[in-house]
Parts: sequence; structure tokens; C-alpha cells
Amino acid sequence: MLERMNWIAQLTNSWVWVMAWRDSRRERGRLALFAVSMVIGISAMTAIHTLKEDAEAAIANQEKALLGSDLQISSRQPFEVDSVQQIAVVADAIASETGLASMLQFPRTGDARLVQVRAFEGRFPFYGAVETDPANRWQAITQEGAMGVLVEQALLDQFGAEIGETVRLGELEVEVIGIIRKPLPRSGRFSGFAPEVYVPMEALRSSGLLGATVLATHHLHILGDGEAVKAFLDSQFADESWRTETPESRRETLGDAVENFRQFLSLLAMSALVLGAIGVASAIHAHLKRRVQSVAILRCLGASGNLASAIYLVQSAVLGLVAAFAGTVVGVGLRQVVLWQLRTRTDWEIGAGIPWDVVLQASLAGLGVCVAFALLPLLRVRKILPITALRQSTQAEVKSTGRLATFGVLLILTASVFGLAWFNTSDALRALIMTGGLIVVFAFLWAVSRLLVWATRHFTSASWPYPLRQGLSNLHRPNNQTLLFLLSIGLGTFLLLTILFGRNLIVERTSTANTEDGPSIYLVDVQAGQVDGVVDLLEELDLPTLESASMITMRLESVKGRSTTELMEEGAVPRWVLQREFRSTYRETLNATEKIVSGNWPPVWSGGSGPVPVSLEADLAADLSVSIGDAFSMNVQGRVIECVVGSIREIDWSRFNLNFFMLFPNGVLEGAPGFHVVTSRLDEGDSSGALQSRIAEVFPGISVIDLALLLETVRTIIGRILMVVGVLSGFSLAAGLLVLIGTLWNGRDARQQEAGLLRVLGASRAQIQSILTVEYAALGILAGLAGALPAIAANLAMAVFIFKASPWPSLPLVGAAIVLCAVASILAGLAIGQGASNAPADAIRSS
Amino acid sequence: MNSSANISSTSASVQSATTALVLKLSKVTKTYHTAGHSLTVLNDVSFEVGAGQTCAIVGPSGSGKTTLLGLSVGLDDPDTGAVHLAGQELGEMNEDQRAALRRDEVGFVFQNFQLMPTLTALENVMIPLELRGDRSGAKAAAELLGKVGLGDRTRHYPSQLSGGEQQRVALARAFIHEPAILFADEPTGNLDRETSEPIVEMLFDLNKHHGTALVLVTHDDELASRAQRTIRMRAGRVVEEIVNA
Repeated sequence: MLERMNWIAQLTNSWVWVMAWRDSRRERGRLALFAVSMVIGISAMTAIHTLKEDAEAAIANQEKALLGSDLQISSRQPFEVDSVQQIAVVADAIASETGLASMLQFPRTGDARLVQVRAFEGRFPFYGAVETDPANRWQAITQEGAMGVLVEQALLDQFGAEIGETVRLGELEVEVIGIIRKPLPRSGRFSGFAPEVYVPMEALRSSGLLGATVLATHHLHILGDGEAVKAFLDSQFADESWRTETPESRRETLGDAVENFRQFLSLLAMSALVLGAIGVASAIHAHLKRRVQSVAILRCLGASGNLASAIYLVQSAVLGLVAAFAGTVVGVGLRQVVLWQLRTRTDWEIGAGIPWDVVLQASLAGLGVCVAFALLPLLRVRKILPITALRQSTQAEVKSTGRLATFGVLLILTASVFGLAWFNTSDALRALIMTGGLIVVFAFLWAVSRLLVWATRHFTSASWPYPLRQGLSNLHRPNNQTLLFLLSIGLGTFLLLTILFGRNLIVERTSTANTEDGPSIYLVDVQAGQVDGVVDLLEELDLPTLESASMITMRLESVKGRSTTELMEEGAVPRWVLQREFRSTYRETLNATEKIVSGNWPPVWSGGSGPVPVSLEADLAADLSVSIGDAFSMNVQGRVIECVVGSIREIDWSRFNLNFFMLFPNGVLEGAPGFHVVTSRLDEGDSSGALQSRIAEVFPGISVIDLALLLETVRTIIGRILMVVGVLSGFSLAAGLLVLIGTLWNGRDARQQEAGLLRVLGASRAQIQSILTVEYAALGILAGLAGALPAIAANLAMAVFIFKASPWPSLPLVGAAIVLCAVASILAGLAIGQGASNAPADAIRSS
Repeated sequence: MNSSANISSTSASVQSATTALVLKLSKVTKTYHTAGHSLTVLNDVSFEVGAGQTCAIVGPSGSGKTTLLGLSVGLDDPDTGAVHLAGQELGEMNEDQRAALRRDEVGFVFQNFQLMPTLTALENVMIPLELRGDRSGAKAAAELLGKVGLGDRTRHYPSQLSGGEQQRVALARAFIHEPAILFADEPTGNLDRETSEPIVEMLFDLNKHHGTALVLVTHDDELASRAQRTIRMRAGRVVEEIVNA
């Protein structure tokens, strides 16, 4: 018998579908209104997910522009032709580069300057572009075989040279054919510390500079699946001491901005759909409230509870399907509008074709969650007693819902929220925390609503004025909306505030990372005796001196008693760490972008011949597998210094401050040969030409490294991240507010009927409005407060565990949310009262 | 003319040994418990209705008539006692089994008509057949609507019909599946005398024609007198049972 089967099984009964259709006939206008909640939720979910995909792809492309390729392979030895051919098989395209430091001579004046020569062969970069003046000179030297050199404007300024002038590079005399306006990413972080010049590979070969004694670095730039190529290298070229770099490894330049951005978008997408789901639950609840008599009649005539439930499950599911379709269309449309706006207002190439897979996933997830949230009110249908049809009461007689069924539905809801969170974050633990958080908030709001019902039942005094008594009594009497209102509006307030808090945190954190007071100019090769002169010169040009540090080059000699040669053979420590030349400094104080995370760091060392406590950067310590107290030794230009890991520091590399992998205390390296680096900052848009000329005049040996172009790239990315965050937050807020207004409106039936009845009995308009104002103000203020409290807790958790920012939320924002809740609630109450006051008979009849 | 007798003697006289029982209530009691209070709505009520018989239940408001009706068709459970409907003990059946029994054996006519507002007259009448899985009831429903004088209103919604017309649709719905017993709860309570008259005629005609037992709950003594028996209730007890002429 069908009736013995559960209500899901009833969906195979064709009559259920026919009845669902018939039953909807006179309610389709209302059902369409209810569907709006779902449409908003699903369209927000679709728009946010597709835009998230677009923004992530666009940001990832921009990240790739920080490297120029999907993978960079570097070696101190030239790559064998055979090796390159093997790699070419697994790559989509390869470009090669060789870089070395050399003197660039200006024969006309007889001047010379140490420069970083970068020679290229093949199309490069694969991401981003090199801009030159005149245009297309980069393509000329890399792809069209033109023989010439591209230089920085500052270099020409320094020597009063111009385009067309001949310069000498080794044995080759070559013409300056253009100025680099937008340079390539550097092949290493500030590698070379000298102005860069670009030449075709053929020019470098002709220069004779590639002799065996010259220390050159060779790079292969790969276009293709970076991870696959890396895996290929690990399997085929395991013995080669090559170093690889991916765009991700350059992400440190952007700090945590991209990761924070992804997390925030996940939170947004999830919140938008949960808001939509709240709307769905309240809409279905309101719809079913109007169908109580129909359900009771069917039950009287012999329909089982399961059969009646199946009819409304079908209605909800079809409503969900229609809403999913409409929501998807609206969501995709919104995406197109937002992309069009972003492209029009900036020159950002964001978003290509419509990602149908993401659209489909988002729609299905939205539909699933909507149907799951409709189950809770549908539970009630099974338990509507048929005797309701015999009684003349407007109140449905409902048998208490079985605990097992309620538990089952709550389990489905929890599972769907968890699935949604997992779909959004791709991180099971984070999804679990999000789901747990929502359950806690839900339980909290439920408890608050029970408390409100209890308090109004016990503490309302008969001596109070009638409208106040009646308004407060509405909060606990049969047909009260307290639980529904607190859950829907409270949860909505919580989610909207959490979105705003999250947005504020990401803006604060990203703005801090992208601070305007960081350095944009490095002055390198400054001798100890020149530091004061450089500082004076900067002051003369109205430029600040931000930092000054000594740099001493050194190499690792041993770690925990094992020599670098032994360690290299064991393969436990990355080769680049063992082979690299560390540029370290000594100083008494830490700067703002580094902090000690373990151990102690003595500003001054006076330990005599004992090992020197050195502070290591956290990632380096991890690569070396050392911890506090472990011994290692450094070779400082021939002299071995015994050291011990005194402390470990975390460094924020997104700031361009002078930071070092190894930091020595004062009192150890003062006598070691080295040079100083001084940093300064130019205002955005200012040229470093004047500074370069003055430095060249007064201190010819000092190099000026201008970071303006790199900073501009970083700022552009961060700016675009913040723009997307702004647009999507605004969109979610608007969608959420619409859903909440719909929720308020859905609950109007009961109050409209009561207000109409009171009006018929002679209540004045003012009395009705006072009663509704008291009830809705109490509900609004309490829902706002009850939603704000967990939002403040969520802000605290996000600030401490994710964004590492101030845990204090914006109190004006909290206040505004509560006031907005109360005002919106009162306005909804007044609107309901207004309708009933104007046409009381209609109000009674329509209910 | 009506004649009266005491409860035990009339039960024996009206219920012939050869008539099968369609409804039997045995010592049924129902008490509602609200915060700190108990209200016994039915107290030790027993009566029987045989196949094709008609029986009216009368009594003032609050005497327990509607509760008795609810218990008789398994819409509610008695605290003590037993209810047998169409030969089956309702206390031994679950909610779905009772629904199936109502679907197959019971017809309903309500005071406030209780038509599904979103269904046409024809669709409303078809519901009992459709609930049984019979999808070919349109012809029979149309015929029945014709019999109650609504042959030209089959596609009208309840809101487009007058009160009397709605109750005629309800009558057609109650008889479409030829139930063993029909319960009518104040079938003319919302209608004026002029409109009531043909409804009552139809009710008894259909009862006679289909051989359906009829249980009428009413305030109207004149209507009650048309049934073979009248059971009078007061304060939850059966205080009198009258055999009508």
C-alpha cells in the first residue's frame, strides 16, 4: 500500500502531482511572491560563485604576471639542449633567459655602470606584458631578431644618454633601441641589485660575456601545467640542482590578500544561500499555514498524512525548480552586468565565457538547500489533525511532530548546510566549523525566543495600557510569531553583520598590508662611509630615509654538525638553501614587518667565543629542520662563525621593508666586509630620475632600485580584490535585506486578521498601530540584538583565527543593524495595520 | 410522530439481529487536559448504527457532538472504550490505516462545506475516487453533480458558488464513492430554510438510493426527526434515544 510507504515514496503517485498542480491554482500569485526569496538566494549564490571563479581566475592570472610564466626553472649551469627538448614535450611553450651582472659602457662619454643584463630567446612573458617606448621594441628583440638593448629611463637620465645611442656590452657595441616603461618580473627577489637591461640572446652570445668564469643564472620559463612539469622534473632530472618557482611562490608579495579574499567570497556565497533558505523556510511556512484547512479536508476524506505531505513537497520542489531556473538566469545576468561594469570602469580583463559547470553546481546546491529547508515546515503537514476540518477554529490542530522525524529533518538540514559549506570552502574542517557555528547561533536564537515568550507571559502587568499589554501578549499567545521571527530575522541579522564584519576585516587587513608608507626605492652598494652623505642627499631632495642596514654576504657551512656537502647528498634540505648566498644584517631592533614567534633575540651579543644566537626566518628554519638551540655555522667570506638558533621570526614579505633570512645581533659582524642598503619612498607617480641623476653625480658606485612598477602591479591586484569584495558584499547585503523584508511580509496573515477584527470591534487606527508597533518593535530589537551578539563573536573568531586583525567590531555598525532591524520591523507592522485599518472586512476575509 | 423509549430497550428494538453494524461505540470516554484543568467531553457513551440506517445526534453546544463525530471516524482517540467502524476496531489501527478506512467506507458533509477552494466543483467531487486510485471518476462525478442540480456548474470554483450550491457539491462528494456510512455535521447549519430544504431532501434520497448509513449531527429537531433514531446528548452523556416514526 502506498500509504504505508513514507512520504517521499508518495512522489511516484501521479495523483500527488495532479493535486499539487490543482492546489496551487488560486495561490500562484502568492507562490510567485514566495519564490522570490528563493530566486534572490539562488541568483546571489550563482552570481557570487561565478564571479568568485572569474575573480580568482583573473587574480591568478595577475599573480602569474608576477612571475610571467607558470613555472620558472633556474640553474647556475646552462641547460643542455637535450634537457630543454625533453621539457618541451611536457610544456606548452618555453622561453629561455640568461642573466648576469656586467658593466655597460657609454663610449660617447666614457662612463660605465654595473647593470644586470637579461638576455631572452622566445616569446616571453606568457602572462603580463613588457611595455617600451617606442612601442613593440620588446617584441623586436625577442621575436624579430632585432639587435639592440632596452634600458630603464633612469639609466639614460644618469648619463644624459638618449635612445639611438651606442653602448658597449663586453665586446659588443649595440644601439639603445628603447626605454623600458613596464618591466618584466625580476627573476629573483631583487636579484642583482642593479639596473636591468634587456638584450636578445644572440647579443649576449656575441658579447663574449658568457665565458666559463662569469657567474650567470639561466632560466627556462614554462607555459603549461606547472605542477605536471615540476613532477616531470622531479622524476627525470632529480640529480640536477635546479630551482623551480611558481606563481604561488610569488604570492608572498601580495601577503594574505588573495587567501583572505577567497575565504571571504566563500563566506559570502554561503551566507547568501542560507539567507535565501531562511526566506524559503518562512515562505513555505506561510504558504502551508494557508493550506491547513485543505490538508485537514483531505485527511478527513481519507488521505494519509504522507500523501498530503507529498502534495506540498511536490509544490515546494517545483517551486524550487522554477526558482532555481529563474535564479540562475538572474544570477548569470547579474554576473554579466558586474563584469561589464568592472571591465568598463577598469582595464581589467576579468571573466571570459559563462562557466556553466559552476552555474549548474551553484543552481543545484541552491535547489537542494531550498528543498531541504522546506522540509521543516512540511513536517507539520503530516501532523495536521483532520479534526481541524470539523472545528471552526482558524488555528490548525497539530499533533506534536515525532522526535525521530524532526531529528531526521534537522539532520538533513545540517548535512545540506555542511555540504554547502564544503562546496564553498573546499575545506572539510572549515565547513564543519561554519556548520557548527550556524547550529550554535540557531540554538541561541531559539533559546532567546523561548525566554521572550516566558518573560512576556509572566511579567506583563494588567495595569499597563491596553495597546502595550496586547502588543506584548501577542509575543506569547497562540499564533505568535516569536520563534519564527527570532530565528529568521535574528539569523539574517547575524549573517548580514558577519558579511559586513568580514568585509571590514579584509579591507583593514589588506590596506595594512598594502600600506602607503613602505619603501619604494632601494639604494644599494652604499659604503659604510657614504651612509650619512646618502641620508643628507635624500633630505636635500625632500625624500625620507626609511631604513638603513648593513648587508654581509655569507654561505651556510654546516647545520647541526653536518656539512652542507653531506646535507646535499642526503637531500633532506633544499639545495638552494645550501648553495645560496645569504645577505644578512645585524641590528638592535626589529622592524614593523617582522616578529619573534619563538626564542629570544639579544639585541647585542657579548658572549665572546660562544656560538652567536641568530634569528632565522620561519620558513628557512623549517627548510633547515632546525629549532631553538640548534647549532649551525656560517662562512662569512672565509671566516666561519659558529651560531645557534636563538629565535625564529615571521616576516611579512608583502611589505618591501628591509628584511633578512638571518638576523645577527650587534657586536658580531661589524668588522665584516659588506655594504649598506638605504630605503626611501617616492610619492606615487613621481619619477626616480632626479634621484638617480643626483646619486650618479655624487655617489657613482651606488645603485638605485626603483620598485614603483612592482608596487603598482601589487596595488592594482589589491585594488581589484577590494573592488570585487565591495561589489559582492553590496550585492549580498541587498539580496539579504530583500529576503528579510519578504520574511516580515510573509508573516502578515495572522496579524492582519486580528487587526481587522479589532477594527470591526471598534478599535481606532492609533490603537491598532500602537499594538503592532509594540509587538514588532519588541521582536525587531530583540532579533537585532540576538543576531548581533553571535555576529560579534564570529567577528572575534575571524579576526583572531583568520585575519589576525583587531577583534573589536565597529560599534556604530552593530548599533545601526539593531536600529535598522527595529525600524524595518515596525514599518512592516505598521504597513500590516494600515491595510487592516483601511479595509477590515477584506483583512478578515483574505485571511 | 416520534415515540420515545429508554436507551437499552430501543437499542435492542431498532437493531435487528440481521442488520450488520457499520458503527459501534462502546463505553467511550474522552477528557481534555489543559493547564491544571480536566474537562470530560464524552462520558461512557455507547451506541450503534446498522447498515443503511439513519441516526441523528442532537444536543446543545458543548454537549460533545463534534467530539463524538471525530471519535466515530477515527479523527481522534477515546481515552477509554472502543469504536468499531465498518467492522474494524479503530483503536487497533494507525493513522494511515484509519485514513484508508475513511477513504473507502466513509462520506463527510460539513457545516461549512469544506470544499477545496483551489479545485473546481467536478474536481472536488472526484477526490474520494482519486484517493482510491480511480482516475476515471470524471463521468460519474459529472452525473452526480447533475443529480444534485449542478450539471452546468462543474467547472466552477467554490468561491463562484452559493452556499447551497457548495453544500450540494459536498453532498455529491460524500456519495461519489458509495460509502458504507455518511457523517453529516450540521449540513444545513450555514444555510437558510429555503436553501436547506432541497439539501435535506437530497441527503435522504441519496441515503436511500445508495443504502448508505447516515449519522446526522444537528441542532435542528425537525431535521433530526427525519432520521430513524435521535440520540440526545447533554454534558457529554447520551441522555435520551428516540425512535422516530
